Amino acid sequence: MNKQLEHQFVTELENNQNIVHKVCTLYTNNRDAHNDLFQEITIQLWKAYPKFRGDSKFSTWMYRVALNTAITLYRKSKRRIKTQDYESVIFKIKADEYDETEEEQLKLMYKAVKQLNDIDKALVFLYLEDKNYAEISETLGISEVNARVKMNRIKIKLRTILNP
Amino acid sequence: MMDELELLKKDWQKKEEHLPKLSYDAIHKMTWKKSSSIVKWILIISVLELVLPNLLLLLFVGTEDWSNTNLGLMKNYYLAFNVLYYVVVLYFIYQFYKRYREISVLDDSKNLMRKIIKTRKTVKNYVIFCLATILISFAFYIIGFYIDESILLNFKGIVEKAKEVPLEKIKITAVWIFALAGILFALFMGGVYFLLYGLLLRKLKVNYTELKRLEV
Repeated sequence: MNKQLEHQFVTELENNQNIVHKVCTLYTNNRDAHNDLFQEITIQLWKAYPKFRGDSKFSTWMYRVALNTAITLYRKSKRRIKTQDYESVIFKIKADEYDETEEEQLKLMYKAVKQLNDIDKALVFLYLEDKNYAEISETLGISEVNARVKMNRIKIKLRTILNP
Repeated sequence: MMDELELLKKDWQKKEEHLPKLSYDAIHKMTWKKSSSIVKWILIISVLELVLPNLLLLLFVGTEDWSNTNLGLMKNYYLAFNVLYYVVVLYFIYQFYKRYREISVLDDSKNLMRKIIKTRKTVKNYVIFCLATILISFAFYIIGFYIDESILLNFKGIVEKAKEVPLEKIKITAVWIFALAGILFALFMGGVYFLLYGLLLRKLKVNYTELKRLEV
């Protein structure tokens, strides 16, 4: 029984691991920390899995656990070894896909997002993942109106980072 | 002006192919690893806080020195104080367990943070209670020295010393030593505690303040 549950969980997570990787990318700065956070999120997901009833999609449920772990439960890893310029690996932009200016602008955008605080990052993340304001407010525990207001402020904040 | 975020959103969704890909086995291995979340740490520290002072007390009470100590007139008060102490400790254990169980990663972020802070508050109250107990215990002795000299004389070596130095002088010295030791001990314990939790929950507090700030 337990084995079956475990198999089911690992398969679901394997198929949806992109969500966790994206959260890790936003909240960490090197590969070690990325893996560390990925592991902690996996543990939290697995611990909570018996409570997952299946009345929502597994991926929807993952957003909440992954963000809660990144924002609240995870202690930043002591190891701060810079193995490589991590961002350039993950946020790699293929030159032939974009024209120069757009590529440059996107790079700056990603950099700007990484500079935001934990909560702002969570809002941007959910926004980029195409979540509506109802879902954003439910995940973070703020009202829908406040989520909208906050998102507008973040847009202004990003704009000022980009065009100082 | 074009919405930069819309541009980012389009690109973000194309990014998936560049993300790392973990195998089934790698993920499976992770499910067996131990969590190192702050909740886990709060639990570990709290259990230590509950166990250590009581263990010290038991070791102390268990020694011969203690059983030979005649608490004199203070004995009944001391006993009552002890009973009260353990009742309160049990209450704190129950409260902590209840709060700890309430913490769920499935809550929304704000609620999760609120519950962790609430759990920490229980621990904080317990530590304050412990520190107060330490101070009261030392105060007990100080009062005891005044109303019943036999408490003082029961300490090793005091009887011999009293032959050389007037008892009044020993009494004053003992009071000072106990008062200072009590305060220093409480300060030390308090310092360690607040440093530990301060570091552990710094990030959580910043984020919680940020979320709460949105509500006004």
